[in-house]
Amino acid sequence: MPLVRKTDKGKPRSEANPAEVLKALTQGTQDERWAAARAAAVIAGGVQALATALRTENDSRVREAMFTSLTRIGTPEAVSAILPLLREDDASLRTNALDALRTIPAAVREHLPVLLNDEDADVRILSCELVRGLPTEEATTLLGALLTREPEANVCSAAVDVLAEVGGPSVLPALDACAARFSETPFLRFALKIARDRILSQSSDIHD
Amino acid sequence: MTEFPALTEDEFRKLCDFLYRRTGMVFNEPKRYYVERRVVERMLATSSASFTDYFKRLRADSAGEMERFVNAFTVNETYFNREDHQLKCLTSDLIPQRLRHKKPGELLRLWSVPCSTGEEPYSVALWLLENWPLVDDYEIEIVGSDIDTQVLEAARAGIYGKRALMRLPPSLIDKYFAQLDEQSWQIIAELRESVRFTQVNIVDEEQTRPHGRFDIIFCRNVLIYFDDAARRVAAENLYENLLPGGFICLGHAESMSRISALFDVARFEEAIVYQRPAYQGGSRGE
Amino acid sequence: MANDSKTILVIDDSSLVRLYYRGILETAGYHVEEALNGLEALEKLLSIAAHLLIVDINMPTMDGLTFLSELRQKELPLAGIPALIISSESKPQDFAAAQAAPASSSFLRWSDCDFAALLTGVRHG
Repeated sequence: MPLVRKTDKGKPRSEANPAEVLKALTQGTQDERWAAARAAAVIAGGVQALATALRTENDSRVREAMFTSLTRIGTPEAVSAILPLLREDDASLRTNALDALRTIPAAVREHLPVLLNDEDADVRILSCELVRGLPTEEATTLLGALLTREPEANVCSAAVDVLAEVGGPSVLPALDACAARFSETPFLRFALKIARDRILSQSSDIHD
Repeated sequence: MTEFPALTEDEFRKLCDFLYRRTGMVFNEPKRYYVERRVVERMLATSSASFTDYFKRLRADSAGEMERFVNAFTVNETYFNREDHQLKCLTSDLIPQRLRHKKPGELLRLWSVPCSTGEEPYSVALWLLENWPLVDDYEIEIVGSDIDTQVLEAARAGIYGKRALMRLPPSLIDKYFAQLDEQSWQIIAELRESVRFTQVNIVDEEQTRPHGRFDIIFCRNVLIYFDDAARRVAAENLYENLLPGGFICLGHAESMSRISALFDVARFEEAIVYQRPAYQGGSRGE
Repeated sequence: MANDSKTILVIDDSSLVRLYYRGILETAGYHVEEALNGLEALEKLLSIAAHLLIVDINMPTMDGLTFLSELRQKELPLAGIPALIISSESKPQDFAAAQAAPASSSFLRWSDCDFAALLTGVRHG
């Protein structure tokens, strides 16, 4: 029978030498940078090294591994290293940053009120998406507050998209006020109506 | 019992949007009853006063509710030749492609993870013996791994009931199994010895790395249960366990689009599978 | 429904945006398919033929511009499917990047987007 059973010939455990990891992070081949990106999750100075390397890394797979390592470190320092990347010109870098932050809602939570007030409308848009990862009540409160002060239609649309999922009756006034402010914006009118309908249709207790 | 429909139109759509976003599974009006029945089941199991209440739990993944919920929508039974279109794809396309990079006699490595009670890796072995003309020309290693040591013990023992064998023709059962009694058959020793079973937690790279790199990985119906953070890490681990150009097959309700962009997607006649890029620098590097 | 109506693939992570487009496009007689991000779109395009793509930029896992650049590297006819990029981006750099996106793509600003503009864009696309 040609099917053979092999004894374990797997690679030995990698002993990460911090100095080598740091060097490979920016100077290695694609495979080496990948391995270094993963190893950086467990060495001293990892956050700084990853944050720096991210600025020049062009390979999307290596970047993904770098972001994952930052989320696994998960310290406030690591989160702070990712946040600025939400402002980047490069759409794929922004996507990577947002995807990473999405996996650590507890660590991101404290930053959201500030992010939802950012001067940059695009940052506010991306932050609405991060609010989706919060518990229902908290998400509703944050986005309801945003709707009452937000001047940009696009940001309101992003908030309403999340409110269609998490919104409760308490946010109806904010939705109505938004509809009045943006009566000329077709998509937003549409989205507000859906959010409103979904909130109003919420059933109460199960019939027995 | 609850009246049908238990969800309003809007609640149903909200739930479908949520499911589609999280898992990629598509449900719409025709599947209304199917979805509602399962939702009501979970609502009762969690003592939820209303769908609103239940949806909050689901969103917050309270007490692992997401896993239980998704579980209700996936077929969890394991049996021989489950999703045989992937087995067909294996011999029609995946192995031939891998062989382009191998010399005759070189080792072909296949991984079934999670392997549960062994039906999947043994099915692969059986399939190759019966359907792959070149099976004698190459060395093949099949590894089956799972986090649960009990199922691994069962897999090593290789004893199965009627239901597990239901997709196998009697001729194959006669050829590869010994009947032990009315209700059980044991796969023959040569096949039991041809699969190596190991314990592994796919979220732990210290456990996955020693397994080395494979040509083809079957990783069905586990990633869909993980949260975003665990999915990413598992995907990265599995990527490392693939040779460049190697393939990974997920469960039919699963998609890498909800998990990771590490893999390229490839379509073959029988299946859609994912592939680690074959060359350094891939198309997405600069 | 069968006839020879053209298929438009709407690629956007917002379920409400996809619903909005679906309404407009179906009313105008098109068949609509959906994908939630660039990766799902690539997968879908292996199974369905689309005559036009409507592509958002900001999406999880694979953004719209990366999707288009991956698509253009495939074989024809896949690589040649025209795309309308509709984005809420307000930065000039993004506008420029979107306009510089691979061939057969045109760009609409989200804030300019309404029923009429979309259908005009679709008819030209």
